[in-house]
Amino acid sequence: MALVQFRDGNSGIVVGEQPAAGTSISSKARLNGINLLVSAIAVALIVWALYWIVDWAVIRAVWTSEDGSACRVADAGACWAVIHVRWRIILFGLYPYDEQWRSAAACLVIVVTAILSCTRPFHTLARLTLLWLVGFGSFIALMRGGVLGLSSVSVNDWGGLSLTLFIFAAVSITGMPLAIMLALLRRSRLTLIGKTTAIIIDVVRAIPLLAILFTVGVIIPFGLPDALVGEKLYRVIAAFSLYFACYQAEIIRSGFQAIPTGQEEAAQALGMSYRQRVAYVLLPQAFKAVLPPTVNQFVITFLETSLVVVIGFFDVLASGNAAFGTAKWGIAKIEVYLFVAAIFFTFTFSLSRYGAYLERRGAPNAAK
Amino acid sequence: MIRFTAVNKFYGGFKALNAVDLIVKEGERVVVCGPSGSGKSTLIRCMNQLEQHDTGSIEVLGRTLGDDLRATDQIRKDVGMVFQSFNLFPHMTVLENCMIAPQLVRKQAAENAKDVAMDFLNRVHIQDQASKYPSQLSGGQQQRVAIARALCMSPKIMLFDEPTSALDPEMIGEVLEVMTDLAEEGMTMVCVTHEMGFAKRAADRIIFMSKGEIVEDGAPDDFFASPKTERARSFLRRLDLTPSTH
Repeated sequence: MALVQFRDGNSGIVVGEQPAAGTSISSKARLNGINLLVSAIAVALIVWALYWIVDWAVIRAVWTSEDGSACRVADAGACWAVIHVRWRIILFGLYPYDEQWRSAAACLVIVVTAILSCTRPFHTLARLTLLWLVGFGSFIALMRGGVLGLSSVSVNDWGGLSLTLFIFAAVSITGMPLAIMLALLRRSRLTLIGKTTAIIIDVVRAIPLLAILFTVGVIIPFGLPDALVGEKLYRVIAAFSLYFACYQAEIIRSGFQAIPTGQEEAAQALGMSYRQRVAYVLLPQAFKAVLPPTVNQFVITFLETSLVVVIGFFDVLASGNAAFGTAKWGIAKIEVYLFVAAIFFTFTFSLSRYGAYLERRGAPNAAK
Repeated sequence: MIRFTAVNKFYGGFKALNAVDLIVKEGERVVVCGPSGSGKSTLIRCMNQLEQHDTGSIEVLGRTLGDDLRATDQIRKDVGMVFQSFNLFPHMTVLENCMIAPQLVRKQAAENAKDVAMDFLNRVHIQDQASKYPSQLSGGQQQRVAIARALCMSPKIMLFDEPTSALDPEMIGEVLEVMTDLAEEGMTMVCVTHEMGFAKRAADRIIFMSKGEIVEDGAPDDFFASPKTERARSFLRRLDLTPSTH
């Protein structure tokens, strides 16, 4: 077909390699036409979608309405009024209304502690431990009260963003050392220890997180004497932390395997003890090798904190559900979910950016 | 300083060291050579217990090595080792590589460790690369750093396990030069190498191994001029170092 066109256009003269060149020119032209068409359609679609979004989310949006009646008008757009009226229940859950500044301050404490622990001056074990002890200590003091003239608030009333952040931070901070320990034990030269650790890891990974949370949240109180049960929140954090550690341990172990055996031999030959070899030679290299999957694991864990809702905790997603769970605001589901999604995105995106920064800093050629 | 008595070492059914007896005295520069698989590396790696021997006794700097792990730790502080593949720590700068062990193991203060490290980096002519990372250096430079790193622990014995075998030919010279300097300063050295030029120049004793046994043990001149065994003769022929008497 292309060849025929070519002949017509050139008065039937066909010399040497020209047909091939001609074919490719005409088929290229046709491809360009298709490209143009597809691009035009795509651009039109994008413009239309953008217009629709802006129209819905900004132009026709209802920003304030005490009882949501303005949102129920026929051509109303996004009902942001729900956030305006109900943001406190989304962020703070069932926490007593007058004390919610404490929940906000507690969020701030966790975020600041997390940011500080990402800075270099805190990158020693002693300082990091101290920082998090202070961070968790002031979080619990603020949230629970009963000290410094703050009124007592039951853990059952904790909720919203501060609960999500607390669970995530506590799981990460306790889970990471546990993961390192499991990874090291699994490499143990003593077969018994290595095998036992491997079995523990495999068993925990074989159980769905939901089942683990349900077990520690609901079933354990029936089976154990009261003295051993402890508070539900801490049982959940302990179980969650074990779950995190089992996955993270395998990630770290893959990092160990990426290190040439000569590294450990060189450290041994220099007289370094097992602990020194692990802390100064093996772990830094292992973590550098597994930074991307580690960041991944943190992001997954942050999102998985929402699962605590099954045992009656109101994390930020569950309290979001509560925010539109009334007759007045039932229409504003999407807006609330978008708001909660934006909160989750802020935290997970910061996490992945920090991961990317660490990767850049870790590249030897970048460091002068 | 080093005494092997009837040392045996097996890898499964393979006998890597067969009833090895060996004494290395203070200040001796010993070159160990032999065909591959002859047990040279195993021999030298037993000296700081990177490999554990199965039977017999090994005594280094007056301590008997084996089950006593504290003796092993003590010995490793005083015995430096240089590897075929350098094994520098890639996440540390050249300077940090040299400072880490003295600080952790010898409990030296940072400034002190830094002074010592710079001094040795100077001696291996690489002081201007101190703040670079190993991956930014050539093989020869990396190996010189590895030598400096071992020397920073002020070892009494230096072990070299084929230090030039992973190097491009044009870089072998600079490493051997550093090793020759070290030999002239009187360091006790045990060196597994195929560099017979270095052996002639710097060693005062050559050990020839074959099939896990020490087959010849003598002065370099005698070894090169008149090897006593056929195995040594064929080894030298293959290295193109035919004994000059023939």
